[in-house]
Amino acid sequence: MAQLELTNITKSFGGTIAVQNFNLAIETGEFISFLGPSGCGKTTTLRMVAGFEIPTSGTVTLDGVDLTNLPPNKRNMGMVFQSYALFPNMTAAQNVGYGLKVAGKPKDEIDQRVDEMLELIQMRDFSRRYPNQLSGGQQQRLALARSLAIRPKVLLLDEPLSALDAKIRLELRQEIRRIQRQLGITTIYVTHDQEEAFSLSDRVVVMSRGLIQQVDTPIQIYNHPASDFVAEFVGHINLLPVEVAQAKEGLVRLGSQLIRAGQFEHLNGRPVRLAVRPEELKSGFAEGANNLTGKIESVTYLGAIVRVHVDVDGHLVSLEMFNERSLNIPAVGQPYQINFPVEACWLTNGEKE
Amino acid sequence: MKTQKKNTWAIFWAVLAMLYFFVPMLGTFIFSLRMKRGVLSFQAYQSVLADSRFLESFRYSATMGIITVLVSVLLLLPTVYWIYVKVPWMRPAMDIITILPFVVPVIVLVFGLIRTFGRPPFQLTLTTFGTDILMTAGYVIITMPYMYRAIDVGMRSMDVRTLTEAAQSLGSNWFQVLTQVILPNLRIAVLSGALICFATVMGELILADFLVRPALGSYMAGIGRSKAYEPAALAIISYGLTWVCLGLIQYFSRGSQEQQLTGR
Amino acid sequence: MKKTRNRKLPGNSQWQWKNLIGLLPFFLFIAFFLVMPSLTLFSGAFQDVDGHFTLANFSFLQNTFALKSYLTSVWVSLITSVIGGVFGFFVAYAITAERAPRWMRNVLTTFSGLAANFGGVPLAFAFIATLGRTGFITALLKGICFNGAGGTTICPFNPYEHGFNLYSVTGLILAYTYFQFPLMVLTITPALEGLKREWSEASANLGSSSSQYWRYVALPVLWPSLLGATILLFGNAFGAYATAQALTGGSIYLVTIMIGQQIRGDVLGNPNEGYALAFGMVVIMSITIFLYVMLQRKTTRWIKS
Repeated sequence: MAQLELTNITKSFGGTIAVQNFNLAIETGEFISFLGPSGCGKTTTLRMVAGFEIPTSGTVTLDGVDLTNLPPNKRNMGMVFQSYALFPNMTAAQNVGYGLKVAGKPKDEIDQRVDEMLELIQMRDFSRRYPNQLSGGQQQRLALARSLAIRPKVLLLDEPLSALDAKIRLELRQEIRRIQRQLGITTIYVTHDQEEAFSLSDRVVVMSRGLIQQVDTPIQIYNHPASDFVAEFVGHINLLPVEVAQAKEGLVRLGSQLIRAGQFEHLNGRPVRLAVRPEELKSGFAEGANNLTGKIESVTYLGAIVRVHVDVDGHLVSLEMFNERSLNIPAVGQPYQINFPVEACWLTNGEKE
Repeated sequence: MKTQKKNTWAIFWAVLAMLYFFVPMLGTFIFSLRMKRGVLSFQAYQSVLADSRFLESFRYSATMGIITVLVSVLLLLPTVYWIYVKVPWMRPAMDIITILPFVVPVIVLVFGLIRTFGRPPFQLTLTTFGTDILMTAGYVIITMPYMYRAIDVGMRSMDVRTLTEAAQSLGSNWFQVLTQVILPNLRIAVLSGALICFATVMGELILADFLVRPALGSYMAGIGRSKAYEPAALAIISYGLTWVCLGLIQYFSRGSQEQQLTGR
Repeated sequence: MKKTRNRKLPGNSQWQWKNLIGLLPFFLFIAFFLVMPSLTLFSGAFQDVDGHFTLANFSFLQNTFALKSYLTSVWVSLITSVIGGVFGFFVAYAITAERAPRWMRNVLTTFSGLAANFGGVPLAFAFIATLGRTGFITALLKGICFNGAGGTTICPFNPYEHGFNLYSVTGLILAYTYFQFPLMVLTITPALEGLKREWSEASANLGSSSSQYWRYVALPVLWPSLLGATILLFGNAFGAYATAQALTGGSIYLVTIMIGQQIRGDVLGNPNEGYALAFGMVVIMSITIFLYVMLQRKTTRWIKS
C-alpha cells in the first residue's frame, strides 16, 4: 500500500475549479514533483496535502489514516516555502528548534536535534545568526532543516528554489536530493522548472489547468509525452503541420516533402501534426532516415548549444546541435539539408490536450 | 470552525469601534437639533450661521489656512526637490528634522514664540500684521511633518533626477523644471498635504488663542463657555469639514495607497 | 551605497557642502520659528531673574502643584495610550483578519483617519453633547426609571449618580480615547499587514497551535511596532491641550494647561519656572519621539528581511 494517497481530489474556489479529479499514490521514500505552469493547480494540491486548503471533495490518506479534514498542525508534514518563511525574531538555531519547542520537547533533546540538523545542512557555524544576516541560499537550507527537525513523515517543498540565483539554485538542488536520499523521506516538490523536476524526481506529475496530464518517470515523460501539452511544456519540440500522404505506408507530407512517420491508423486520417525534438535533427543526408531540404532562416548561439531555424517549404523547423569546432553552418538564406531517424518522430492529432 | 471563531472576534472589535465612532457623533447631532423645546430643528445651526463672529472667524481661519498652505508649499517643495536632486544624502537627516515639531508641543511653541518675538528686537506681537506673520509661521511649523511627508512620498514615486535632466536637456531652466515638470507630477501629493494642513489650521486653538487672533478655534472655545446647543452644531460642522478634507484627499489619491499621517 | 555615489561626483566633499545652499531658506525658517523659540525657553529655564545660571527653576518639581500637573499629564497619557493602543490593536487586527469583509475594512480605516484627525475643541463639544450632564446619552439613560417602593422613582442608570463625571479625568480619558485608538489603527495596520501569511502557515505546519504562533512569532515580531505606536500615542496625548481646556475649562491641571496659564498670567509667580516647566515637556517629548523613531527602524529592518 502506498504511503500517501490522494483520491479523487477536487478543489474549487467560488466558481473556478483549481484542481480536478486528482489521483495519486506515493510510495515511502519516493521523490515526486508536481510540474506545470503557474495556475495549473500544483501548489493548491500541495497545500491540500499540508492541510492549508480543504478539498471540495476527495480524500488524503497517510499510512491508511484519513487526514482530509485534519488541521495542518496535526499532520506531521514538513513544508518549505518559496519565500523561506523563517521567523525573523529567532536565530537559526531557534528557528530549527521551533517545532520541537511547541511540541513541548525537553531542552536537551531540542538542542541535540538542532545540532544534528544544522550539521546536516552544514550550517553549524551560523546557529546564532538571525535570518536577515543570512544569504537566500542559507535561509532556504535553514528552512529545510527546520521542516525536517520535527521528523515529518512527508516533506513538502513549494517552489523552494525559485527566489534564488541560478548558481545557488543548482547547488541547493543537489543538496536537497542528497538530504532526501540520506533520510529516505517521502517528498513532494512543486516547481515550474522542468529541469529541476527531472533532475530530482523519481516520478513527475505534469499538470495543466487543474488536471493531471501525465504521471511517469522523467525519461518516459520526455521521450513519450502523453499529450501535445506535455510535449511542448517539457523541453523544446517541433510540432509541424503535415498532411497524410499514404496512410498505409505511414507517409505524411510537409509542404512538398515526404516524411515516414510510422503507424497512424488510430488518427483516422485527420489532419495531423508531426512531433520531433530539435536535438534529434542532424545536418546532412542520412540513408534510411527522413531527409528534408530547406533554407537557413536564423542561427542562434546559446553557448554549448547552437539553435538553427530552417525554412522547409514555408514551415520553420528548429534544430539544436552541440557547438563543436567542426560545426560548419552555412549563412542565412543558404540551402541546408537535414535528417532525423524515423523512430524519433511521432504523430499527434493536433489537439493541445 | 476556527475561522468562524476568528471572524466573530474580528466583528466584535469592529462593531465596538464603530460604536465608539458613531455614538458621540450621533449623540451630538441629535443634541444639536434640540435647541427648540419639544421639536427637532436646525435652529442651533441657524443661530451659528447667523452669528457674524462665526463667519468672520471662519473667513479668517480659512484665509490663514490658505496662506499657511502657500507658504508651506513654497518653503518645502523647493527644499525637498533640492534634496532629491542635489543632496540626497541629507534625506535621513531631513526625516529627523521634520519630525522635530512633534517634539515641541504647540503650547510650548506658542510660549516660545511669544517670549522670543514679543520682545525687542522683533516685537512682532505689537501689530496685527506681525502677529499674523507669527501665526502663519507657527502653523507652518506644526503642519510641517505632514506636508513634508506628503511631498517626500510624492517625490519618491518619481525619478526626479532623470526627469530634471531630461527637462534640462530640452532647454528648461530650474524654475521651468520645477513649475512645469515636477509640480504637475506632484499635484496629488501636494494637494493631500495641503488639505491636511488646511484642516489642521481650521481646527487649531492654541496659537490663535494665545496670540489673541479671531480664529475659528478661539471662537468655538468662546461659544463653548457661554452656549449649550451651538457648540454641538459647531462640532457637527467641524466633523463635516474634516470629513470633506479627508474625503477630497481620498478622492484625489484614489489608487495610490498613501498612508494618512495624523496628530494633534 | 551612499559612499559609492559620492565618489562618483567630482570635487567630492566641498562640492557637496556647497549644495546645501539650496536648503538655506528651510533651515533659516526652522532656526527662526522652531529652534530660537525653544532656545529662549531653554535658556530661560536655566537662568534666574537677573540672567545668571541656575538650576533653581527646576525646584518647581518640589512645588506639589506643578509636580502634580506632570503626574496627571503622564497618567492621562499613559492610560489613554494603553487603552487606545490595546483597543486600536484589536480593531486593526479585525480589519486585517484574513476573512474580514472588504467594506468593514474601508469603513474602519476611513473613520480612523477622520477620528484621529478630529480633536481639539469640537471633540470636547461632541462629548459634552453626548455624555455631559444634559447630554444625549445621559438623558437617554436617565429616562429609564422604575417606580420604587412608597411612590419613589428609581432611575438606576443616571451615570452622574454613580460617580461618573465627564468633566473629570475619567471624561478626559474617554474623550482622548476617541482620537487615540484610531491613531493606533492607522499606525499598526501596516505592521499587521507585514506579518506574512507564510509565517503562520510555517508555524502551523511545524505543529504549533494558533496561540503558540501569537506567543512565539507574531507578538515578538510585532512588539517594536506595538511599543512604538503606543509611545506615539503617549506623545500625542501628552502634548494635547485644547480638548482638556474645552472639556473641563482648565480645572484639571495638565502640564499643558499649567503652561497655558503661565503664559497668560504667571501663575507660578516666577517666569523662569514656567520655562523650566516647558523645558521638561520638551525633554519628555524628545525621549518619546526618539524611542518611537528607534523602534520604527527596528521594525522596518525585521519586516524587510
